Order: sequence, then structure tokens, then C-alpha cells
Amino acid sequence: MQAAGIVKDFPGLRALDDVSLRVQGGEIVALVGHNGSGKSTLVKILAGVYTADQGSVEFDGVGDQAARLHIIHQDLGLVAELSTVENLGLGAVPGVHGFAPTRGRAERSHALSLIARFGEAFDIGIPVGRLAPAQRAIVAIARALDGWVHPRNVLILDEPSEALHASEVDVLFSAMRRVAADGAGVVFISHRLDEVLEIADRVVVLRDGRVVADVAGAGLDHDALVEFVTGASAEESVAPVRTLQRGEQMVDIRGLSGVGVRRIDIGIRAGEVVGVAGVLGSGRDILPSLVFGSLPSTAERFDIAGHEYSARSPGESVRRGLAFVPGDRVRFGGIRSMSARENITLPDLRAVTGPFGSIRVRAELRLSHDLLDRYDVRPARVEQAFAQFSGGNQQKIVFAKWLRNDPRVLILEEPTQGVDIGAKQAIYAEIDGAAQRGAAVLVCSSDAKELVRLCDRVIVMRDGVAVAELTGAQLTETDLVRHGYGLADSVSPSTNPRTARDGEHR
Amino acid sequence: MSSVDMTTRAKWLNRLSFRNISAIYIFIAIFAIFSIVTPRTFLQQGVWRTLLDAQSITVIAAIAVMIPLVTGSFNLAIGAEIGFAGILVAVLQVKLGMPFMTAIPLTLLAGALIGLVSGLIITKGRIDSFIATLGLSSILLAGLAWMSSSKQIIGLQDGFRGIATGSFFGITVPTYVMVVVALIAWYVLERTSVGRRMYAAGYNPEGSRLAGVDVVRLKIGALVAGGFIAAVAGVLLTSRLNTGEPTVGPGLLLPALTAVFLGSTQFRGGRFNVWGTVLAVYVLATGIKGLQLIGSPPWISDLFNGVALLAAVGLSQWERVAGRASMIRRWLPRRRTSAPEKPEQSPVEERTPAH
Repeated sequence: MQAAGIVKDFPGLRALDDVSLRVQGGEIVALVGHNGSGKSTLVKILAGVYTADQGSVEFDGVGDQAARLHIIHQDLGLVAELSTVENLGLGAVPGVHGFAPTRGRAERSHALSLIARFGEAFDIGIPVGRLAPAQRAIVAIARALDGWVHPRNVLILDEPSEALHASEVDVLFSAMRRVAADGAGVVFISHRLDEVLEIADRVVVLRDGRVVADVAGAGLDHDALVEFVTGASAEESVAPVRTLQRGEQMVDIRGLSGVGVRRIDIGIRAGEVVGVAGVLGSGRDILPSLVFGSLPSTAERFDIAGHEYSARSPGESVRRGLAFVPGDRVRFGGIRSMSARENITLPDLRAVTGPFGSIRVRAELRLSHDLLDRYDVRPARVEQAFAQFSGGNQQKIVFAKWLRNDPRVLILEEPTQGVDIGAKQAIYAEIDGAAQRGAAVLVCSSDAKELVRLCDRVIVMRDGVAVAELTGAQLTETDLVRHGYGLADSVSPSTNPRTARDGEHR
Repeated sequence: MSSVDMTTRAKWLNRLSFRNISAIYIFIAIFAIFSIVTPRTFLQQGVWRTLLDAQSITVIAAIAVMIPLVTGSFNLAIGAEIGFAGILVAVLQVKLGMPFMTAIPLTLLAGALIGLVSGLIITKGRIDSFIATLGLSSILLAGLAWMSSSKQIIGLQDGFRGIATGSFFGITVPTYVMVVVALIAWYVLERTSVGRRMYAAGYNPEGSRLAGVDVVRLKIGALVAGGFIAAVAGVLLTSRLNTGEPTVGPGLLLPALTAVFLGSTQFRGGRFNVWGTVLAVYVLATGIKGLQLIGSPPWISDLFNGVALLAAVGLSQWERVAGRASMIRRWLPRRRTSAPEKPEQSPVEERTPAH
């Protein structure tokens, strides 16, 4: 398969700039890059979900012999309640035969033979939800392979190892090698650089929509790869000059635990910006919900502005001056069919509520007009539905709604996700401004560059616990990535860093 | 100056557009057609008075469905709740010998309690509102049959009968009750912060929760209010019929739901709202009345309601698409002129960010 010179523009954002990717039969190519580097966009173009603005995607062969593309997403696309046999049968085109009785025995033996190719033996009659994660991945791969008339196809695996631990990753990798050995091209997308180095014949690194490296897997080491991913230009991002005085201890949390997070300590002073880093599944994305109280948690100590706060719920958090900008803006950031005005005033309607609980319409209009102006939301239409604003402007509205009352604690999850570069700078300025006005800010982000730019201090999480805390000169993109991937504590490259994850259960 | 005139003119055009108030235009059309076809019967004052009075209970039932629906709960038990309240108020008077002044508050309390139970089942029991209220409906119908032995309950007190038949200035009491219920519901839903939170909770429960809205309490509260209002409708219904009639309540579910959905296409661009609902009830009733007057068979009302419900929901879906299209149209000229300095627009959001 060959994709050449792919360019994809989104308004205000060039997602892919002259990207070429060549995959040969029998080869395992790893595709690596930060969030927003363009990996997903590239995969979507290959799959035909998006059309490229420029460039072409070509497959070898003609007619029946043409190579086909199969993508296995992270969630694998299996039906957990159905057995392996039934899941494998889902892909078949039913036609008239859809109403014929299923041929139990034939399907079973077919499934067995498919699975057997991967050297694995497990009960193909039980629901796949009860199988081990690696076995589920094999079922998904087997299903993709089922119906290939020839082996020279392309298989894309999007972060398949995310939910696996070390011994299971080996099972998955041997399955991938098996597919490649049969002559298929395999594209492997992962955040785990050590795994990438272990399996990839070739590594393609994307950064800001460009291919920055296309090198052989052998001869590549961790440090070089980390540098490719983060970019040498990391140093030039401008850190703000902080002139503020650290205030009182706003957040004092000891031993915070919840589903996927164990015994985290967080202390934030007024005016301080603390970051949380970590790869997907490290607990980074869960921590903000635990602090805000939208997920249940336990803690040895949980003080906000010097007062104990034990019965945590979102409503109570808002009353106590906490504000939470959730990562999934589309689902949780705002009420999509309500107007900008209604979204802005929702968290605290007291300011615009008159006698008998009635909303003072004019005061509300004035307030929302002012805020849309102040946060430079375009178009500045207070009555336009939230969903009809662009991503960056939606995020500005979300910020406006939380910052209008100067929260004491501002919790941010992926504050600039899906936001173009201009809006990004505006949002950074707002975060700086909120800290300047005395808020304690907690930023959870998968973007190391962003954390370096924003934070005074960053807690790095891995497998649900804090593994490092970086400040001052230590706080660099490279170190964040190293700690996040667990590369920092591996003394020599020969020791497998993945062993740290052994015995972890998720 | 002229631009100000333009915007007010555009606003009025928008308000009077077919999309915004289609039901009023449909009403005018129905009125005109039947006035021509059957002027003698259709244009009689008596017909309209009866219609106003008879449909007031349907309006109350529709508002009882609408309030929980705003917070995202379907209440399919509304018919059974009305029937249950209607029988309860009769049983309390006839079999237990209570004065109706005691029986009525007790019945209204029971209605609120039923709403509370359904609210707890839906929120704390985490059962989908569709299933929960369907199950509750069946249980209520069983209770109703047990209390009444599936027979009419006669011998109600004279004063009780007077409630629904009494009138001031030629307008019956149920009509006044309807107006009061509608006014209160309108005020709370559209003019207060509680109402704002209710809409938010219905549109996006998790998003609202993260904004500090107590979604569970609002949902339960809405169902309690709905149950209470349903009981009001039940009491009025029994009073008007002067018997505890076990079969009439359940029949109100379909017209009530139809009116709520048809009403949501009016005035507020897809949002459930009180005045749209009131209007929808009367438009539907006028259509059915006209058809009956020209000699259509009695099942025409079921047919009419069913078709109208599908049309109403279909219309609101279509409206959503149309709204999107008009949004794009509004955007295009602006974008062309201002594209260079502000190039950011919406598809960024559709791009799911890489992991």
C-alpha cells in the first residue's frame, strides 16, 4: 500500500501536510506521534472516512487480487455478549443465506482453524467478554483476516496493546508477526515507545501533521525516538513569566484513591498551576473527576481552602468554588441544543435570579454579551446553540461559564483538545490569568508541550499511581515523556521497561 | 435605523413563519374547511364551549406528561395515573364515606406519591423511564381494577359533582384549572432558574451534572409534579362524569403525548413548551370535532391522533435538519466576507483527536 503526499486541511488547521506512508507486505510499520499529530486523521483518510485534499492512496493489485485495508480499533469492535464463533460470523455478508439456519459445526471448526493459526487455544464457545484481553484482540484480528482471498493486505491496529499487560502483549505481538509472516502489511499505532521498538521493522513518526522520521526499527533507541516525538524545537515554546505570589494552600489532598487511581497526593496553592501527565490508562484522565467529585473516591485528607470536604458531589463542588472543564467537550462540556447564554449561566444562576426564582432576562443577556466579548467568542451571538459554534469557540464558552465567578480551584482536562492554534493561545492566556487572579489550577493533559508551557509543577502518573513530580529545570517535554512511558527508571536499554507493569490488573 | 427595522422585521417574519407556528396555520385551515363544509353545526357557539371544556382535561394531562419529559423522563403511566386518581377519589367517597373535601386532597397526595415512586424507580433504581412507567402503568391498572371491581362507581356527593360542572362567566371550572396549571408550569419552566436546570438536565444529564445541576432531584421533582397534576385531571374527570369510570383514564395517554410532541414544534424551535402543548391539544380536538360533525365514525379520533403523533415527531426531526441547513445558509455569506481574518469554523470539532 502506498499513500503519497497527503494533505488534509481543517479550517484554521492543517492536520496533515505532505504525509507519505508506504507499507509493504510482510512488514510491521509503527506509527507514532502525540495527540493531534495527525495519526487519527491519516488513518481516517486511509480508511476512506475522510478524503484527502491532495495526494493519493494506492493499493497493489487489481480486481480480486487488490490489497484491502482492515482497521482494528482500540475497542476491537467485538460484541462482548456473543461467543468467538458468533463474533467471527458477524463479518459474513448474509444475503439470502441470512435466513438459512446457522451451521453450528462448520462455523465452530472454521473458527477453531482461524484461531489455531495464532497458536492460541481457548474456549471459543464462551462470550468474548469473558476472554482475556489479548485473546479478544486475537479474535478481532482473526475476524479481519477471515475472508481474505490472498494474504497481501494491510492490517491497521490502533493502540491494540493499551489494555494489555506485559505477558499479554507478547501474545498479541506473536499474532501480529504471524500476520506479517503470511505476507500482509501491518501498521501498528501505539503510545508505548518501548513496544514500538520491540516489534516495528520501521517507525514513522508524525508531528504537527508532518512526517518527521521514517526510519528502520533496528538501530533506533529510546532517546532518539523520544526526540523525534517531542521535536527538537521543544525549547522554543514560550513559558510565561510568572510574577505572582503564591497564596494560601487551596487544595490539600492526601491519599486520593478511586477506580484506576491509587493514593495520589495533590497540594496546590492559590496562583499555582499543577499539571498531571501520563499515558492513556495511567489514571491521568480519571484524576480530575475524582477531585471534582463526579466519580466516587476515598481520601485520607481532602481540604479545599482549609475546609474539610468529605461528601463530594459536582453540585457541592460548584458551591465550594471548584470549576471543572471536562475533556470530552462534545458530550459533557455544554448542553449542545441550548444557547450560549443558557450554557454560560447554568453553573451559577443565582447572579441572574430575581424574586420567586425568576430569571432576570435582561441581566442575563447583558452578562452573556459581556462574557462572549471578553472571551472573544465568534460569532458573538448569545442565542446561537452551543453545538453550532466551532470547537475552539465552544471551549471559550466553557471557560467563560466557569471563570465568570473566579473559581477558587480550576480543574482542566485536556483544555485545548480539538482546538486550533489561535484559540489555544487564547485559552492558555485565560489559564494564566485565572492563576494570576488567585485560582489554584489543576491541568490534566496528554500534551507534554502544553504542560511545560502552563505548569509550575507536573505530577506524572503511571498505572494509577504518581511516579514522579517535576518542577523547574526538570520540567521538560523529554522528561515528561520518559517518566510517562516508564523509560526513566530503566537503567540500561537492555532491561525491559515493561516488566514494571507485570502483575498489574486492570 | 434601517438595520434596526430590518432585524425587527426579520424577527417578526421568523415568529410568524410556518415553521414556528405551523399549528396556528393548520388551525386556520381546519377552521376554514369545516366552516365551509358544515357551517351549521361547526360554527355553533355550543360546540366551541363544549370543546373548550372537554379538552381542558386533556391539556392538564398533556402538561403532566410534559414536565417529566423536559427532564428526560417518559411517563407512559399518565393514563393509568389519571384513571387511578379518578377511581380513588370515588372510592374514598362512596366506599369509605369520606367527605369530598377530604377525599380530593388525599387523592392529589396519592398522585404525588405515585410520581415519587416512579421517580425513585427511574433514578435510584436506574430503570429506563420507558420501561419503569410502562410497568408502573400496569400495576396502577391492576390497583384500579381491584378498587373498582372493574365497575362504575356511582353515588358521588352532590357537591363533588358541582366542581366540574360549575361555571363562572360561562366558562367551566376545569377550564380555569387548566389555565392556572398552564400558567404555573409556564412560569416555572421558562421563567425560573429551576426550569432552566430542568431543560439542561433533560438535554444532557451528565453535562448538567458536571455543571453542578442536581439532575436526580430535578427528575424526581418533575415526576412528582407530573403525578400531582395527573391526579388533578383524574379528579376533574370523575367529577365531570359523576361516576368513577375505570376505562376513561388510560385513553388520555395518546392524545396527551401527541399534543406534547406536536407542541414542541411550535414557538420554541423543538423545545417542549406549555403554550405549544395547549395549542396542539385544541388544534387536534378541532380537527377531530370537524370530522365527527361531517359524520365520520367514532374511531376517527384514534386514527387522527396516531397520524398526528407520527407527523409531529417526524416534523421535529425534519426541523432539526432544516435548522442545521438554515444555520449553514446564514453562515455562508458572512464567512465569505470575513474568511481571511477568522478562518476557524466548525469541522474542527468533528475531528476526533488522536490518542
